[in-house]
Amino acid sequence: MIEWIDSHILSLIIFMPLLSSGMVLVPSDKYKAQWLAMGGALITFLLSARVWGIFDSSTATLQLVEAYHWIPDLGIRYIVGVDGLNLLLLVLTTFLTPLVLVSVWNWQQKYYKSFLSLLLLLEAGMIGALLAFDMVFFYIFWEVMLIPMYFIIGIWGGANKIYATTKFVIYTVFGSLIMLVAAISIYILHFEEAGFYSTSLLDLYYISNMGANTQALLFAAFALAFAIKVPIFPFHTWLPHAHTEAPTGGSVLLAGVLLKMGTYGFIRFAIPLFPEALLLFSPYLLGLGVIGIIYGALMAWMQRDAKRLVAYSSVSHLGFVVIGSVAILNNRLSEEALTGALYQMINHGISTGALFFLVGMLYERRHTRMLADFGGLAKVMPWFSVCLIVATLGSIGLPGTGGFVGEFLILIGVFKVNSAAAILASTGVVLGAVYMLSLCLDVLFGPVTNPENSKLRDIGATEKLYIFPLSALIVVMGLFPNYFLAKSRESIRHLSHHLMDYRLTVRASQASKDTALLATSRSRQHGDLP
Amino acid sequence: MEVVDLIWLVIASPLIGAVLNGFILPKNNKALSHIVGVVAVGVSFLCALPLFLKTIQGSTPGIQYGYSWLQVATLNIGLELIVDSASTLMLMIITGIGFLIHVYSGGYMAEEKSTSRFFSYLNLFVFMMLLLVLGNNLLVMFVGWEGVGLCSYLLIGYWFEKRENAAAGMKAFVVNRVGDFGFLIGIFLTYRSFGTLSFSELAGFLDEQVVLSSEQLTTLTAIGLCFFVGACGKSAQIPLYIWLPDAMAGPTPVSALIHAATMVTAGVYMMARLHFLYYLSPFTMTTIAWVGAITAIFAATIAVVQTDIKKVLAYSTVSQLGYMVLAAGVGAFDASIFHLLTHACFKALLFLGAGSVIVAMHHKQDMVEMGGLARYLPITHKVFVVGVLAIIGFPGFAGFFSKDEILWRAFIFPNGGFILWLIGMLTAALTAFYMVRLLCLTFYGPNRSDEHTRQHLKETPSVMWIPLVVLALLSTFVGYIGLPPVIGHVFGVPNYLASFLGTAISMPKNASQFWDFISAPHSVLLEWVLMGISTVIALLSAGVAFGLYRRGPSPLLSDLSERSNRIYSLLLNKYWVDEAYQRIVVTPLREIAEFLWKIVDVRLINGFINFIGHLLLFIGGLISFQMSGNLQRYLILFVMGFVGLLYIAVAI
Repeated sequence: MIEWIDSHILSLIIFMPLLSSGMVLVPSDKYKAQWLAMGGALITFLLSARVWGIFDSSTATLQLVEAYHWIPDLGIRYIVGVDGLNLLLLVLTTFLTPLVLVSVWNWQQKYYKSFLSLLLLLEAGMIGALLAFDMVFFYIFWEVMLIPMYFIIGIWGGANKIYATTKFVIYTVFGSLIMLVAAISIYILHFEEAGFYSTSLLDLYYISNMGANTQALLFAAFALAFAIKVPIFPFHTWLPHAHTEAPTGGSVLLAGVLLKMGTYGFIRFAIPLFPEALLLFSPYLLGLGVIGIIYGALMAWMQRDAKRLVAYSSVSHLGFVVIGSVAILNNRLSEEALTGALYQMINHGISTGALFFLVGMLYERRHTRMLADFGGLAKVMPWFSVCLIVATLGSIGLPGTGGFVGEFLILIGVFKVNSAAAILASTGVVLGAVYMLSLCLDVLFGPVTNPENSKLRDIGATEKLYIFPLSALIVVMGLFPNYFLAKSRESIRHLSHHLMDYRLTVRASQASKDTALLATSRSRQHGDLP
Repeated sequence: MEVVDLIWLVIASPLIGAVLNGFILPKNNKALSHIVGVVAVGVSFLCALPLFLKTIQGSTPGIQYGYSWLQVATLNIGLELIVDSASTLMLMIITGIGFLIHVYSGGYMAEEKSTSRFFSYLNLFVFMMLLLVLGNNLLVMFVGWEGVGLCSYLLIGYWFEKRENAAAGMKAFVVNRVGDFGFLIGIFLTYRSFGTLSFSELAGFLDEQVVLSSEQLTTLTAIGLCFFVGACGKSAQIPLYIWLPDAMAGPTPVSALIHAATMVTAGVYMMARLHFLYYLSPFTMTTIAWVGAITAIFAATIAVVQTDIKKVLAYSTVSQLGYMVLAAGVGAFDASIFHLLTHACFKALLFLGAGSVIVAMHHKQDMVEMGGLARYLPITHKVFVVGVLAIIGFPGFAGFFSKDEILWRAFIFPNGGFILWLIGMLTAALTAFYMVRLLCLTFYGPNRSDEHTRQHLKETPSVMWIPLVVLALLSTFVGYIGLPPVIGHVFGVPNYLASFLGTAISMPKNASQFWDFISAPHSVLLEWVLMGISTVIALLSAGVAFGLYRRGPSPLLSDLSERSNRIYSLLLNKYWVDEAYQRIVVTPLREIAEFLWKIVDVRLINGFINFIGHLLLFIGGLISFQMSGNLQRYLILFVMGFVGLLYIAVAI
């Protein structure tokens, strides 16, 4: 039994939430649906914890691979696998989802069961996109993520929900269609070069005779899709609307995982597929990243709506991830910066997730998110204040929190590549303190001016259940980063050192029967697959 | 277990105290909170003591390895603690004076409903400060560096119900972050140039280079300047000193511990730790010396006219930190640390003394409302006099030795040494003036407080005055461990401190070419003369102040100040530096941000995106007549499209 689970564990992780997504719609009883959803999410989390446990950190090869033919004539396969680049994000996703479910436990909203169902569908989409190593499969999951989010914002969102969700979807779809065109192009290019069809990423990585212009064009197409998703300045304007209008749980998953799909896309697709194009684009992406850091921070500083402030802070934080992902020197990606970028994705997911939860608690109590409506809550809601301060410290990257480790690694790595970019980006460290501490000042400190605030209840047991683990993780990830980083070390080193070899990164350590499925013939002729 | 392993207990104890008071113990048991807070620091002190004694006996520096914290590529940062003379001396200051201040706090915070949060923060601060001084690694030091900043933020804003207090905490944090920005860039440069962040490895690497290339020296200059920006933030030097006066919003024991005795000296300590690097960059050192000297006199002039007792002490602290930075800049790191030590004793004493006054005055801090308190607070008065004598450099008291050592070392500095000495000497005169003024306005003359306050004036409880007495003793005698050679020679007493610190901080061989003036022979007579001049002028200045203020605010002076209205108001308003920052930095940045948001983000970028959306809708509307539902028409369009595509494909 265990053996069977272990050998199919990634598929189980993808289809468990999918299954529960359908099952929660069956019972008429709200509580049964709740427990079904929670059960599914928890099993998914436990399975991913199992993956974390059996993952072999000493190698960069793709692990726990499952590969099946789907449409053999077109070379389309179902391939899932895990390596150091997606493992942490996988666990983040399966960790955040149950917390979101807890946060809506006592919800009295309409269509409650549908909400749960969509949430789980979203989880399945995110996990699928993270684990997919087949272009077509990746694309399908990429789009699957959109649908539930569209409804989550559109049905349970705030006053301006339709505008926000339409903008979000059209913007993202625009990007993904361009990516689709690029994906088809490399599919054809691969066929021209290798003589057989394949959509396996492991085959596509091998394309070696792409012209410089082609590479640049295709990179640009992928980069645009991912840049919208991240979002990188100036493609960010959908984000504040989507975040502000989305219900709390939606915002948490949007910030926690969905945005990371963009930066993950860079690391998994755009960069290793078109390494030479990266040499060309790296300075521009560094520039846009740095602009995003400063610009996002200044925007956040100006906001009077707490949720919008946190949303803009994401633009700033993701700017760090972007510059960390594209820092390249002497044909090598900076290991420090790339590690930092990966770590920062997780940190941002946790601290911003916590911040959205906390702002959500405020909104639930007072039905306003305007900073001016608060003040003096530290007296009224001490535990809430502790959590808000911890999340703030994580967000501004105080040493001892995970945020510091991420930012520090990114900056020290980028500094070696482009010191001007790193110095400019470091100003984000100062600006971050300005806008986040302003938030704390307005919400927590000063006298209680509004009588409505004087009798707010502190966070209750259910709320503690989801906010405490996040707060604790912020600190744990700052004190013991090696525990987490050890998982990705080899994969990052391999990607960094062999970026230009066109024979990348992820090779499978799987029985030979699967090898054929993973990457067709050429892998054998290269003879480098075990 | 070896003695040196005690170091883990030293840092663990305050952390445990912080956790106990923060999360575990009951909130409303004030006595328990106090005891836990005090014991945590006390245990730390007792464990640090054998380490200190062992380093005095000349044991070699030991590095204690905790765990590997962060390992990526060639970067490998472990929790490594360095136990040598410099760090153990700091341990004594932090845990020793920290212990006294913890004891005192029990009395000072007696009127609070709950003190568990206070002691939790205070213990956490001690932990972070210990991490800062013990880290054998720039990054571990930086963890402590920002950690103490966090505690400072939390404690300045401790009484957060007043928004100004919380805002002062935020200002401190943000201004310090500007300094930390410099520190970070320094770390990046160091890593890029040397591939390591460990102090011992850096020192080893630099020591091996017999002759450094000019390129290397330029890099070292840049690194040194970056770290100095960090020091300017933490040790409140121009232009980043502006947070420290505001930091007085915190409870007075916090001002004593964090904003006088320990945290603000972190910049000075950091430079001493990096002495091997700074010695190699004369340009950086000269910059540092001048910044220190100018800060010293600048802050002292402001202190002369302030009437808030804590504000005077705050500007005094900025000024005294200027002395320490000046000393570091002229290459006298031992004198710098010596002054750090004596200042920690007498400034903690002065702040805590002021705290007793403030408690007696029911939290009124304006000296205009005080006067004649010597009658009501006899013990506080006596120890306060000791503190004043120590800070103004009255011969025989602690400040005398450390200040004169600094002035002499400044004098022999080749790049403008005489002017540096002159500035230092004038600062000493100003110091004597404002401190005696403070003493007189508070303790002498008629009492000027209202009837109600006067009736309740009484000496503070023993939990507060006993620490004061201990600090008074320290302020009197601690100077004798570092007698300047010229004095020590007379009595046949060596400079214990210099030889003790010499094991950790000594001139690297490859830098001695820049610093030969230190070991060059000097006229002993000249040194005595200079010492005499500065002492006499300081005492004269003290005498003038005593004459003017012993009966309360001087009518002569208010007359004078009215006549020289401009200068007086310039000083009273602290040179309008805060206002200038507001106008030059904050407001423009705000306006830019507002412009970017309202115009660029909302109108331009988002407007453009929406415009495209609307454009597509419009075009869609134009061609939507085609959607007629007529199947034949669809078929024709389909065929036309297909032929068109075929044509394009063939053409290509």
